[in-house]
Amino acid sequence: MMEKFSALYLREMKRVYRSVYMWIMLVSQPIMWLIFFGSSFSQVPSQFLETFFHTTNYIAFILPGELSVSMLFVGMFSSMSLIQDKRFGYLKRVLVTPTPKYDVFLAKVFGGATRGLIQAPIMIVASLALGVSLNLSPLSIAVLFLSLFLIGIGFASLYSILTIKTSDWQAPGVVANLINLPLMFSSTALFPKTFFPDWLKAISDVNPISYSAELGREVLLSGDPNWAYLGYLAIFSVVMIILGTVIANKELQPE
Amino acid sequence: MSSIIAKDLTKKYGDFVAVDHINFEIEKGEIYGLLGPNGAGKTTTINMLTGLTLPTEGDAIVAGYSVRKQPLEVKRRIGWISSEVILDDELTAWENLEIQAKLQEVKDWKERALQLLDYFGIKEFKDRKAGKFSTGMRKKLEISMALLNSPEIIFMDEPTIGLDVNTRASMWNLIKQINKDYSVTVLLTTHYMEEADSLCNRISIINKGKIIATGSPEFLKEKYGGDVIEIELKKDVDVKLPYEVIKKDGKLRIKVPSAENAVLEVLNAVGSQNIKSLRLNKSSLDTVFITLTGGSLEEEEFDARRFYAMIRRARR
Repeated sequence: MMEKFSALYLREMKRVYRSVYMWIMLVSQPIMWLIFFGSSFSQVPSQFLETFFHTTNYIAFILPGELSVSMLFVGMFSSMSLIQDKRFGYLKRVLVTPTPKYDVFLAKVFGGATRGLIQAPIMIVASLALGVSLNLSPLSIAVLFLSLFLIGIGFASLYSILTIKTSDWQAPGVVANLINLPLMFSSTALFPKTFFPDWLKAISDVNPISYSAELGREVLLSGDPNWAYLGYLAIFSVVMIILGTVIANKELQPE
Repeated sequence: MSSIIAKDLTKKYGDFVAVDHINFEIEKGEIYGLLGPNGAGKTTTINMLTGLTLPTEGDAIVAGYSVRKQPLEVKRRIGWISSEVILDDELTAWENLEIQAKLQEVKDWKERALQLLDYFGIKEFKDRKAGKFSTGMRKKLEISMALLNSPEIIFMDEPTIGLDVNTRASMWNLIKQINKDYSVTVLLTTHYMEEADSLCNRISIINKGKIIATGSPEFLKEKYGGDVIEIELKKDVDVKLPYEVIKKDGKLRIKVPSAENAVLEVLNAVGSQNIKSLRLNKSSLDTVFITLTGGSLEEEEFDARRFYAMIRRARR
């Protein structure tokens, strides 16, 4: 039973590892964020940074935030990859074998989330190189990866659910536009919510990106994580994956 | 014993009936052809027989199992070959085989995979990316993948579409060979007359979702065949002949026992000044199709855009 899932999951991994373009993107995207966006507050007085961001280095603040946001894009890639399989007929090849539709869905979702995790070590090394001091212990790294993996799975599921019936290339882009930007800016990934209007705060308080970003900050910077956040992320991811499994089994069509 | 029994198999997309109550029975070991123009319902029929799509009405027993009630059991016992060769081009031939083996639940697949690659003469390329294979090699790899689970039946949807004449002929040989060497029943769809004629033990002619004739190519040619004189007219004329005359879209198709003997008589009756072009079609499955439908296969080429528009509307 696991054989089918693992065969399809390995396919996803091989396709990522063998693509030069994928590597260029995986490496360059986080570094662009750190260098360009991270530098935007570099001339701000350190007292302001301290009171507003609770750190003297803005890069340290956005590191967990950016990693969380990058998991949103991972969701978009899983849904694009499923659409590609529909268009090239590969999904048909899979579905004429005794493979349940949910295995196809799960392989895409886990494949996407794993791909997103590749960015984390790259980001951490880049941040260290830029002079950020991080609290790196096996536990903090494990918690960071787990929280990223959970939102990765959650968003990859959400994307796949929203594009399950289409084979239009442009659909994931539209979904990205409607989901990524609002979720990114209504979270505490890039800025604290101190100066958010109430309605934005309300969204931020249920936004999984906020939870993942906060948890990441807690383990990497203060070393004092709020475990309830991890529980919240786990619930989000489990609900999404169950929903996706049910919907994929019903709605996924070979073309 | 039968490999496939289709009973009133029907697929509707809204009001559009893609496959309309078709019935046929395929014996074990046969090479059976579904012959018809594009859009006749051949692919939809294969999709139902392979368990990809649920029939709207009717059922089919494939390899002993109902496609309606036990599609998984059906899928375990069949192989499938697409018209456009679907492989993961980023993976090697061997990796493609491995995924197929896992999805088809084949234990000890490596030995069989090697044996198949050897049989098709592509063993030495097993670690090369599938995307780097030539068209012929891709076809062979795809057939190896279809044979991996020792299927009782292989479905081939338009197996030689887009191939050049030489590759097509060697594909025909290959299909005959695997049918014999692996004792696998083959159901193929085609819109090439000569393919059905030279390859299939029996065929069903399918048009607009309905089977209009079934039998061996010889039987069909004998029963519905006869030569056809095809005349493209410059202007409309009334023709009186002791033969069956089908008039359609400015063309006359005249069914005669022997084209050579009747051609003069036909020329006189039509008047050579009225003739733009003239063609003698010797008895073949093509003339069978003309007899049965009034149109030739090429002309029945279906408006694919209209078809998909209909399906889309129906799905909404």
